[in-house]
This record gives sequence, structure tokens and C-alpha cells, in this order.
Amino acid sequence: MVKVFFRVFYSKCNLSSFDVSIVMFINQNTNEIMIKQLKESVPIAPIGNVCFFLFLFSSLNLIAQESYTLSGKITDNANGESLFGASVFLEGTSIGVITNEYGFYSLTAPKGEYRLLISYMGYTNKYQEVVLDQNQKLDFEISEESTELDEVVVTAEESEMAVLRKPEMSVAKMNISTVKQMPVVLGEVDILKSLQMLPGVTNNGEGSGGFHVRGGAQDQNLILLDEAIIYNTSHLFGFFSVFNADAIRDMKLYKGGIPAKFGGRVSSVLDVRQKDGNNKNFELNGGVGLISSRLAAEGPLFKDKGSFLVAGRSSYAHLFLKLAGEENTASFYDLNLKTNYAIDDNNKLYLSGYFGRDVLKFGEIFNSSYGNVSGNLRWNHIFNERLFSNMSAIVSRYDYDLGFTTEEFEWLASINNYNLKYDLKYYFSDKFKLDFGASGIFYEFDPGQVNPSSDTSSINPLKLDIKKAVESGVYVNAEHKLTDKFSAQYGLRYSNFVRLGGQPMTNYLSDRPVVYNNNLGIYERGMPIGETDYDNSSSIKTFGNFEPRASLAYQLNDASSVKAGFSRVAQYVHLLSNTTSVTPVDVWAPSGKYIDPQLSNQYSLGYFKNFMDRKYSMEIETYYKTVDNRIDYIDGSDLIGQETIETEILNGESRAYGLELLLRKNEGKLTGWIAYTLSKSEQRTPGGNAGGLGINNGDWYNTPYDRTHDISIAGSYRLNDKWSFGGNLVFQTGRPVTYPNGQYEYEGISVASYADRNSDRLPAYHRLDLSLNYKPNKKPNKRWKGEWVLSVYNAYNRKNAASISFGQNRETGANEATRTAIFGIVPSITYNFKF
Amino acid sequence: MKKINQILLITSLSQILFSCEDVIDVDVQDAPTRLVIEASLDWEKGTSGNEQSIFIRTSTPFFNTDSNTSITGASVVVTNNSNNSEYVFEDLGTGEYSTTDFEPIIGASYTLEVINEGEIYEATETLYPVTDLTVLGQSREDGFSEDDLEVNLTLVDPEEEGNNYFFKFQKQGELLPIFEEFDDEFINGNEVDWYLEIGEDDETEKKEAFQPGDTVDIEFYAISPAYKEYLQILVNQIGGVGLFESIPVAVKGNCVNLTNSENYAHGYFRVTEVVKISYTFE
Repeated sequence: MVKVFFRVFYSKCNLSSFDVSIVMFINQNTNEIMIKQLKESVPIAPIGNVCFFLFLFSSLNLIAQESYTLSGKITDNANGESLFGASVFLEGTSIGVITNEYGFYSLTAPKGEYRLLISYMGYTNKYQEVVLDQNQKLDFEISEESTELDEVVVTAEESEMAVLRKPEMSVAKMNISTVKQMPVVLGEVDILKSLQMLPGVTNNGEGSGGFHVRGGAQDQNLILLDEAIIYNTSHLFGFFSVFNADAIRDMKLYKGGIPAKFGGRVSSVLDVRQKDGNNKNFELNGGVGLISSRLAAEGPLFKDKGSFLVAGRSSYAHLFLKLAGEENTASFYDLNLKTNYAIDDNNKLYLSGYFGRDVLKFGEIFNSSYGNVSGNLRWNHIFNERLFSNMSAIVSRYDYDLGFTTEEFEWLASINNYNLKYDLKYYFSDKFKLDFGASGIFYEFDPGQVNPSSDTSSINPLKLDIKKAVESGVYVNAEHKLTDKFSAQYGLRYSNFVRLGGQPMTNYLSDRPVVYNNNLGIYERGMPIGETDYDNSSSIKTFGNFEPRASLAYQLNDASSVKAGFSRVAQYVHLLSNTTSVTPVDVWAPSGKYIDPQLSNQYSLGYFKNFMDRKYSMEIETYYKTVDNRIDYIDGSDLIGQETIETEILNGESRAYGLELLLRKNEGKLTGWIAYTLSKSEQRTPGGNAGGLGINNGDWYNTPYDRTHDISIAGSYRLNDKWSFGGNLVFQTGRPVTYPNGQYEYEGISVASYADRNSDRLPAYHRLDLSLNYKPNKKPNKRWKGEWVLSVYNAYNRKNAASISFGQNRETGANEATRTAIFGIVPSITYNFKF
Repeated sequence: MKKINQILLITSLSQILFSCEDVIDVDVQDAPTRLVIEASLDWEKGTSGNEQSIFIRTSTPFFNTDSNTSITGASVVVTNNSNNSEYVFEDLGTGEYSTTDFEPIIGASYTLEVINEGEIYEATETLYPVTDLTVLGQSREDGFSEDDLEVNLTLVDPEEEGNNYFFKFQKQGELLPIFEEFDDEFINGNEVDWYLEIGEDDETEKKEAFQPGDTVDIEFYAISPAYKEYLQILVNQIGGVGLFESIPVAVKGNCVNLTNSENYAHGYFRVTEVVKISYTFE
């Protein structure tokens, strides 16, 4: 019997340094006591005044004998890309580890001789004999399974052994090669659309960007591109995702069980990583499509000590539109950059950047452009074979700019953030690994300014107050193998949010920014009674939240396991949108005096099984999630150009629950999956302080993200080396919307009266997509490799309603319902090349 | 900044590149019938404003085309709250109730009382003065399209903040009018240029833009802040709500049912000053 007493203590109080001390008492049956102490002191970004303790008690079966650590990196043999999620196992033992985001692994085992197995889906297994009699460093390169083989493994999952054992659940991973196999709209590979094929992930209908996870809103997803927060995920109102598939290495979507490392969004985390760039050969990738084209270049740099990647995309449909005499045009472009430099074996620098922009032009009267820009400098440092660290300094900006030519003014708004974070991972033993770190984000929200663009403009200049805030977090997370069959991941995050001064805040009569008018039965803006001016050095409001996270996995047998998870997450920034579909001009607002942070609790339970010799796998998960302080909007709310957002909103709550089923075929000529989700997502917005019953009389009502049924079937069939086929079939219950429930004559027109919010539904959404890949002249020795991708989106031309609007016929005056369908059948052809 | 929303609607790319629209059959819910009070006491600038009418009807199911919804036999009285003058509106038996001795007074507050089937409805409203509206003429180069005709108007917003306006444009021969409501938040104290242009409707390919010879009737109202809030929702929801517009909501007017508050009436009691101009395109 061994007892481990484990303590982590960190404080900012003493000189921005970070102490980790690990004290271990090993209490053998013999009453022998062994104490081992390790102390690391590492610099850390200044964060809030946080003192934070974590005590963990547990029992471990440690063998009192000498152990050594093996560490190193796993990379792709062909291009030197580090592999995330590759497994490194000592055969014949249960000792193994999964590589981290940077391809690093570390495992500790008793002295001895072992056969090491390195495996990664889609790659050939690699074996290596090792004599473990000292700490050692071993880097491995593994190669992709030859595509000459008839049988191709398409899925991108990490070793199935690991999936069962690791407590990680509610995670959807997709390798970029899987995504590239799927049929696409307009010839552009789209990782967000591919994610929507997985259970628990839906879109908000065509013509809208973003996605929804387990009944959550769009702003509840934390979207990271190389750790930088991305605010706008789509180009051209959702037609394309901002992620260029040529620049992306992998992505991981946490639908629940969010690790303590992440915080700030209550619904999900989408962690997208860019490729490092080929460090062996110069390589050119590209594609030419009907709407857009792309080109990516990558190659070694700094005498093989580094590599680079530059990838760009641009649409050119607007040029054709212009030629066709169309005055209204829309276009986008984006650029991904990444470079890295290995200073030495233990230090590596990465610099990555993203720049994307949409430009819309509507005749002579109006133009608009918006986009994200982000940059990230990272420093990987390996302290020793067991302690890995990464420090990141990130800047991210989203802005939009609207120019009104006729009205002679422009409208500018932006959100900027500066983020410093430091993450460490300590591979304590084969059974115990510890992640810990801290982060701080400084936000600057500029909700908008109006500038007259000429002297003759009749518009007055206006500048809404800039809002500033600092969000910080510290966390510790343990991966703990309790027994051979039972493992756990548990951690705690403490987050802190300070809404900074430097702006006035309006005060309201009776402290009520929104007041229910009992007489008229409507919510009205509160009565302002002056302002409190907060100077730059003061804070308007401070919030702090402990966010425990835990998940457990119990392996029932070789092929199946059960898992359970809990996570609590706080979200301090909110996207304000009262429109059917989120638009690029919707504003982000920080929590503060009148807006409380959203807090979610999610419970999930899952059953995982591999069968038929791992050819098939099945995942069943169920979840229940609650979110406090979910905002909804009063009738007639006006959010754009609104200085006092608090007068437009009511505070409520939301809850979601569901059952997700995923059946995958992992091997063979035919691969793919069937995903089914049965779920409910609803919210309630009582009047609260404002009085009155609230929205829909304070009853629970559907959120716009509620989908009772969601079925997605994705498959790809590889006929031979030249030809392969893909197909997607999607069926979803229609989106909750609000329809009229009556009409009356007023001012010479028929005015519609509307039913309760979200009490109707659009017709069900379904479609079929097909694709065909053809690789001509496959000569292994030729450098130029081309590929034709022919795809048909919405093959049976279903007119899926993006919205249905109700109004009077201009000629007859009779009321009618008009359906707007965005995509009918959309065939496209793309030529991709690699050189 | 409703303008931005409107423009986004017009400009949503989906509408331009790929979308298609068609009329379909949809099942909607049926709300219980409500009383509709259209009590618009509009005083045309420069007239006596003595003759006023109020219309009382009921609501119907949304797709109903039966137009006879008039309510007769109601009692309709308006009171000037400052001097307690009472104006009794006579039931014409057609759903219209009228008076010929109404006295509009700028700044006065009025109360409407309607009694129908034993239930008492009440509303209060204040009369605001309207600023002058001038027609500058017509052009093609201003406005959304360079090819289409627009009429150019100008108005001078008064110094003090808090003015609210309502435009009603009716092209003669056209079934449906065009409404615009706005306040002086971004234009306070300025000389403001306004234009009206009707765009071509690509769907129907029917020429709808103004042509020489077309006449448009323009009504320009000064309205109360509360009525502006009401109209803002109503106007935004006319013709339906698209992808990038606010989710449709209930439009509640100011006619409160004192007998049974749940059974409030649709419509509004407004007292306004209005400028009316007609313009014929050359």
C-alpha cells in the first residue's frame, strides 16, 4: 500500500514565480518511508492575486525499484511534422503515453529491456528495442502507410487502446486527411462543415457561420487557431470556414469534459493547429476551384533547424460578377504563416500568424470589410526528460468596417486581445501526469465609432466607450492511472475576470436598466439617473470562479470501456446578437456591472466499444448541461451602436441534454460513420429585477439551437488508386423559429402578430452530398501529383429553408410565407496539386 | 442604427449569389382574436385638425382573407388631459368612429377610452410639433442604384434632442405603402437629407422603380418616443423577417384593457402633427 501526498502551491504574491513542489510519502507495508522532493521554479506571466492549493490523496501501487525516463519527439518521416496523439507503448506492459501537441512524449518505467511500439493511425507501426538503464532521449520518425496498399486506414483516431483507457471523453478529433475525403460545397474543404457531421455538433442553417455544440450558442465555443482566439469563423456568411485545410495539421473539438487547461467558453473548445511546415523538402500545394483558389508553400529553413509554411487563399467570384455587370460583389482572402526554429534539443521557437478578411461591396452605396488577424510566438522548453513547457504570447484582433457612401459615414468596431500563457506538463510517473499553468488575457472591446466621411455628411460623429478587461486563469490537471483498468483525469481551474475602468457606467433608477411596464405589458429601458465615472486605475467589477473538471474511465475489457465526466466552466465575454443568424457586425461584450458571467455545469456518461477486431467502433454518450446567466433580448432590442447594452437584455438560464451515438467503420475500402443525436436545448428568461414574468411568461422555451433529431452519415469508398468516392447524408429537425399567429389591419397594411418566441420550427433540414476523387497518372517517381475533385452539394436539390418570412403579396395584399433557401444543388470541380 | 441592419439585409451575400426564394404553404398557430384600435389623430400642419376618425376592428388568423372585421357599437371618447375637453367619436356603423370638433394642441396630453362589450380600453398620448419637410427635387445618382429615380427631401432637426419621426410614402397605384421611423440620435440638430428610391425587384421582374409621371404621397409625422419604439418593431417586421434581422417579437401598443389586462388591444392611440406633400416625377 502506497500513499501519495501531493501538493501544488502557487502564488503570484511572491515575485511572479511559480513554485511546484511535489512531496511524496511512500508508506509501504513495511512502514518504510521514502520522501522524494522535486522543486521547479519557473517564470510566469503576472496574473491576478491568486493563491491556490490543491491537495490530492490517492493510492498508487509503486514498485520500489529504480525507474528511468524515456522521452523525445515523434515526427512524420516525410515532412518532419510533429505528430499529436501518437502513442508510445512498452510492449507487454501497460505503460504508455500519448504525444502532446508538439509531438513530445515522456514515459517512465522500471529498469529493464523493452520493446517500444510507436503507433499512430494511418501510419506504419514502429518497433524499437530499448534497454532502459538510464534516462534517455529518443526521437522517432514514422511513415504514413503506403497508399499503394489496397486497404487504407482513413480514420485519424489515436491508437484505439488509448481511446479506451484514457478518461478523455466527449472529444471529436479529425485528421485533415479525413476532412479532405469528404464532399464539399463549392470545392473548398471546410473543417467546420466536417465537424458538423459528428454527433452533438450542428449548424445554424445555411448562410450562417459558426456551429453549435450540444445545444450551445455560437459564442460559447472557444475557437483557437494555434492558440489564438478566433472570433469570426467563417468567410462570406458561413460559406467557407476561415481555416485553410492546406495549412491545418489537426483539430480537436472538446464537446464536454473540457480539460482545466482551457477556459473562457462554456460550450466547447475547438483547438486547431497549423502545420509546422515540411522541414525536409520544399513542397508546393495548391488547388484551383470555381470560386476560389489556394496555394501553400512549405520547406526547411535555417539549415534544417526549422521550417516554414505560407498558405494563402483568395476568392475570385467577384471578378466574374463584376464582368457580368453585377454591382454587388463579395470576396475573401486569407493568409496563414508559420515558422519554427530549433535553438537546441530543448528549446524551440514557433511563430505563427493568420490574416483573413472579407470584403463586400454593394454598388456605390455601401462597402464593408471584416476579418481576424492573429499572431503567436511560442517557446517550447524542455526542462528535463519529464518536464515539458510552452510559453505563448498571442495577439488577436477582429474588426469590421462599414462604409456608407451615400450617407457619408463609416462605422468601425473591433475587439483586440493580448494573451500570455504558460503551460507545463510534468510526466511524474507512468501512472501520474500533471498539467499546470497560467494565462492572462487583456481585452479591449471597441463596440463602435461613427465617423462622418465628408464635411457635408448629416451624421454626427459618435464614439462608444471602449471597454477593457483582464481575464486570468491558473490551473492544474492530473492524468492519473489508478489501476490497470481505472484511470482518471481531474483538475481545477481558477479564473478571474476584472472589468477595468476608464469609462463611465450609467446608473439607473432603482438599479434597474430594464423595467417592466405593468400597464402596457412590455419591457422598457430603465431611467438613467446619472453616471459613475470609473478612472483608468479602478475596476468596475471583479469576478472569480473555481472550475473543477473531472473524468473517469473504466475499462471493462479489451474492447470496451465506460467513462464519466464533469466540468464547470465560466465564460466572461458574450456575443450579443438578436438576429436569426449571427452577423459579422454583432458585438462582443464583457461581463461587468450589469452582465454576469455565464457558468456551465456539464455531466456526461459514455460507453465505448471496439468490435470486429477494431474494424468498427461505437461511442454512446449522454450529457446534461446547465448554463447560468444566459442572456436573451427584450422585444424591440436594439444592439448596434448601443452604448448601454444592459437596457436591452434580460438575464436567464439555459439547459441542454441529449444522447449521442457514433458508429464508425475504421478500416477497409469503405470507411465512414453514422452519427445520431437525440437532444433538447431550452432556455428560460424570467423578468428578475426588471419585474414582470419575463420572456414567454418566464416559461422554458426552445433555444434556436434545439434539434430533436440529428442524423449524419458520412462514407468514403476507395475503389482503387485512381478513384475514390465520398458521400454525406444529413437529416436534422428544423430550427426553432417564431411564426405569426394572427394578423390585423393597421396603417393600411396587414400587420402580423407573432407567437411565443421560438415556438414554431422550420421544416426539417436534409441533404445528400456526393464527391468523386480522381488521381490520374499515378507515377510514384513523379514529383507533380494532381487530383481532380468533383463534388455535388445537395445532390437532390432540396430547398432547405434558411428562413421563412411572412408578409403581404404586393399585388393581392394577401399574406404569404416566403422561403429563402440558400444552396440548391451546387456542383463544383477543383484541381488540387502537390509539387 | 437600424439603417445598418437594413443594409445588411439587402446585402446579405446569400441573397446575391445563390439563394432562391419561393412562396410555400406553412402551418401557423392561431392566437385568440383581439380588438384592434387604430386611433391615429393626425393634425395636418396648417389645418384645423377638427375632423378625426378612429377605426375599431378585430384581428384574424394570419392567412385569413376575410376582410370584414369591423366592430360597431363601441363607445369612443378622447379627453384632453390639460383642459378636460371631451371629444365623443360617433359610431358610423362601419367600424369607423368620427368627430368634427377635435382641437389639437401642441404639447397637450390626450386620453382615449374605448368601451366594447363591457371591457374598457384606455391609452394616453402626447402631441409633438413637426419640423418642416422640403422637397429638393429628384435625381438618379443618389440612392442605392445609379439608374433608378429617387426623390430628395430635406428636414432640419431641432436643437434639442429627443425628436422622433415617421415617414409614410405611398406611390400612387401601388397597394402597399413604405414606412420609415427614426430618431435624432445620430443627426441631432442637423440639416438632414433623406431620399426615397424604390429598387427593382429581380424576382418578379416587374418595373417598380419610379418612372417619370409617377406620383408619390409623402406623409411626415412627429411622433412620441413610445410610439417610435412601437413603430420600430412594427416597421422592422413588415414584409417578414429575414436571416440577418431581429427575431420577430410581439408588437404591443398602448391600448390597455383595464377590465382584463390579458386581453389588450392591438393598434395604437397616437396624436401627431403631420406634413403632407405629393411629388410627381418628371
